[in-house]
Amino acid sequence: MTVAENSRKGLVGRGVSRVDASDKVRGLARYADDLDVPGCWHGVIVRSPVSRGTLRSVKLDPACDASKAVVVTAQDIPGPNIVVMHDRAMPLLAFDEIRYIGEPLAVVAAPTRRQAIEVAEHVRIEIDELPAILTTAELVRKFKAGELKTGVEQNAPRGVGGFAGGAPESPDVLCSQSIVKGDVEKGFAEADQIVEAEYTAGHQEQLYIEPQGLVAIPQKDGGILIEGSMQCPYYIQHELHEALNLPAGKLRVRQAAVGGAFGGKEEFPSMLAGYCALPAMKAKKPVKIVYDRHQDILYTTKRHPVWVRHKTGVKKDGTITALKVDFLLDGGAYLTLSDVVMYRGILHAAMGYRCDHVFVNGIVGRTNTFPSGAFRGFGAPQAIWGVESHVDALARACGMTPHEFRLKNCLRVGDTTPTGMVLRDSVGSPAVLEEALKTSRFADKFAKCSRGRKGARKWYGIGLSFFAHGSGFTGDGESKIGTKVALDLGFENASPVVFIRVSSTEMGQGALTVLSQMAADGLGVDLDRVRYPLPDTGLVPNSGPTVASRTTMVVGSTVYSAACKLRQRLEESAGRPIAGSKSFEQIASKYLAEHGPLRVVEAFKLPDTVRWDQATFRGDAYPAFAWGCNVAEVEVDTRTLEIKVKKVTACFDVGRVINPVLVKGQVEGGLTQALGYAVMEKIGIKGGRFDANRMQTYVIPTALDVPEYDITFVEYPYEFAAPGAKGVGEMPMDGLAPAIANAIEAATGIRMTDLPITPEKLFKEVTTKCAKDAK
Amino acid sequence: MKTITRIWKVNGEEKTVKVPPMRRLLDVLREDLGLKGAKEGCGEGECGTCTVLINGAPMVSCLIPAGQVRDGTEIMTVEGLEKTEGGRLLQEVYADKGSAQCGFCIPGMILSSYALLSRNPNPDEAAIREAHAGNLCRCTGYQKIVEAVQAAARKWPGNK
Ligand code: FES
Ligand code: FES
Repeated sequence: MTVAENSRKGLVGRGVSRVDASDKVRGLARYADDLDVPGCWHGVIVRSPVSRGTLRSVKLDPACDASKAVVVTAQDIPGPNIVVMHDRAMPLLAFDEIRYIGEPLAVVAAPTRRQAIEVAEHVRIEIDELPAILTTAELVRKFKAGELKTGVEQNAPRGVGGFAGGAPESPDVLCSQSIVKGDVEKGFAEADQIVEAEYTAGHQEQLYIEPQGLVAIPQKDGGILIEGSMQCPYYIQHELHEALNLPAGKLRVRQAAVGGAFGGKEEFPSMLAGYCALPAMKAKKPVKIVYDRHQDILYTTKRHPVWVRHKTGVKKDGTITALKVDFLLDGGAYLTLSDVVMYRGILHAAMGYRCDHVFVNGIVGRTNTFPSGAFRGFGAPQAIWGVESHVDALARACGMTPHEFRLKNCLRVGDTTPTGMVLRDSVGSPAVLEEALKTSRFADKFAKCSRGRKGARKWYGIGLSFFAHGSGFTGDGESKIGTKVALDLGFENASPVVFIRVSSTEMGQGALTVLSQMAADGLGVDLDRVRYPLPDTGLVPNSGPTVASRTTMVVGSTVYSAACKLRQRLEESAGRPIAGSKSFEQIASKYLAEHGPLRVVEAFKLPDTVRWDQATFRGDAYPAFAWGCNVAEVEVDTRTLEIKVKKVTACFDVGRVINPVLVKGQVEGGLTQALGYAVMEKIGIKGGRFDANRMQTYVIPTALDVPEYDITFVEYPYEFAAPGAKGVGEMPMDGLAPAIANAIEAATGIRMTDLPITPEKLFKEVTTKCAKDAK
Repeated sequence: MKTITRIWKVNGEEKTVKVPPMRRLLDVLREDLGLKGAKEGCGEGECGTCTVLINGAPMVSCLIPAGQVRDGTEIMTVEGLEKTEGGRLLQEVYADKGSAQCGFCIPGMILSSYALLSRNPNPDEAAIREAHAGNLCRCTGYQKIVEAVQAAARKWPGNK
């Protein structure tokens, strides 16, 4: 059945208004800090003042009157002192070795925030300080000196926490993984020339506008309810129930309205929930912690800093013979979920182009800094920053334009990716590339770039990037996690409605609307017959986390097929088809009166043809790839070296577009974050601490900074997940930084290799170049 | 602690508050008057989520001590928008254009739109961007905000 035939109400593909718009434009949406919790106490975290050390003691000064407060330390943790994450290695509260500045050592809670702060100031800490590694640069130095030992050198299969059968990796290595295709040395032997370069980028802060905030509320049954700002309710339950010594079901988690997340509320809320729950259990009072902006910037996860080295063999005619990539991420003090970030990174680090001989070496190094974490793109933007900058260098080495080189080498139907996946279905390449080149009139404009011409007042440049983004979890992960959804048919004010029960959260991306559209479409009813309350683990099955651009494709298609099933059940019982909301109302009312409420449960399945070997990293790396091409036009002021991004033309293949208005908005927002990553957003480490702690020092784009956007979509539906959507959320973050760097090179004649590209850095390069030219 | 009494016109209704003079207007609105629409994104005057209209002008309420707001001052928060024709129009176009994503910036953003159109019902794009430059949004890239304000301007009361 085609998608069009399947679409009963024509709701799929329509730019309907967001179902949550009304509450949001009236100021009625309730976010974490708006929750009214009677008798709620406030929590304050006592943190390590040093980057690394041995904790001797944490004690409340006996002179302090703490009769109206509770203080919890590692000793008060009822279960094992861990936040589970991927390696069960991170303590909820440090108790022995301290690994980063700001690491939580104790939590104080009291009826008011002021009281809690007063008591917290009287907590005395004794630490023996130890030497620490504080910067990504130090990791890179060690890597180049051969001091970061991984499984590659020792020829053993690798993974988290060392590797099977071999000696352990260096303590500075949190994990490593490689991708091998063909024989990269053979590929280099076939090359006419070899092009090598390094690319780097620092941290990026998610800077959701609503700071992190949660409340833990003790329940009558001895359990705890966690409510507030989060992406993944079931993560909190999974990460924390052991430490709290609660059966999973007694740690109930409910989402409030979320004011932006972008990955920043993926795993971090599991830690924050612990800091709330521990004093709540001890005091038997609800405890809330809402970060202020300072705390939020200083003490939450950020995008991993990256160092990536490309060594590529090319022939004179532009054929790529070998791709060798070293991809190093700075994971911070604990692994948390960095292994999977690195996996996504290496899966995208050599992606996009035909090549028989590929070797990608991925490492997550450890520094004594705040653990790096999830941020929109999850390793892919770092990888694509490297490869798409490098492809321009390859084109130039072969005497080709960037677009000719990409058109010649880009993966097409029938080609094989670095993991050996043959691209068969839903391949928006080269369509996105051709479309973006055409709409932006790239070839014409590229010929007119300034290239650092002397005497000009402004330099103009245009640059592009081309990339794929794997939708959903790696390999067969989507089958393994067993995504479940439920639809409940019931009454609301005496008229029948269908409730969507999934754990996918709304955080601004539009899940409530898009999944409601898909459910209504499958049912053949209007949107107003569908309800999608914010998830609550007490009420919804686990449909997986709200991450990895998987919600519309994976959870949405499962909701859609559940809706089709529900419709079928109703039609069978009535002996006639549902033709619109009226007939739904009659049929459903009758059914409910006769049989009571109806629940339909559905699980996501991948086609059996998807094959993935996690041990060797071979096979179908993702159920499907979305494709994108970004074109950036920049103007550089030759006196101030101010970089102005004037226009961005982008074309994406995200499969079937479910809601064209929402998808455009999401893409514009993502491109704007990528703009910030490219030229504005700067946060470094000074003495082990982030060197920005407010919005004045961590600067994101305002309405005055954004360029004109020209965004188009080409649709190559994913046929195994009706109605055919692929992932979109992360894609717009992926490719703009290298497109801008490429445009800056076309404008100035200078290749910038470190993000963000600021006027200061550009000035340094221009001065160096001038000095060189003068010689 | 010393408190003062103030009588303001909040969203068209007279309200009397008894507050310490240095208490932030944002807290008075959210906690004492229960107007939770105004949000705290930074507490330092940088994000604009706490924007309210004071005698029609957009101000960041996180930086204003309540004692500085004189008796008789007109304060409008997002909750008051729907009492005005322009406010209802803005709510409608913001919803239509998909301008609110996570929604956290919206109470401040939409009040900035209201203040702009009340002052200048025919703004060009540059004026629209300028008027919203103090309201940070991390979700939308601002395009859908600009489009909403343009659409509202076309139908703004008094504009034909
Ligand atoms: S909270 Fe007032 S400007 Fe940010
Ligand atoms: S809609 Fe999320 S910050 Fe503006």
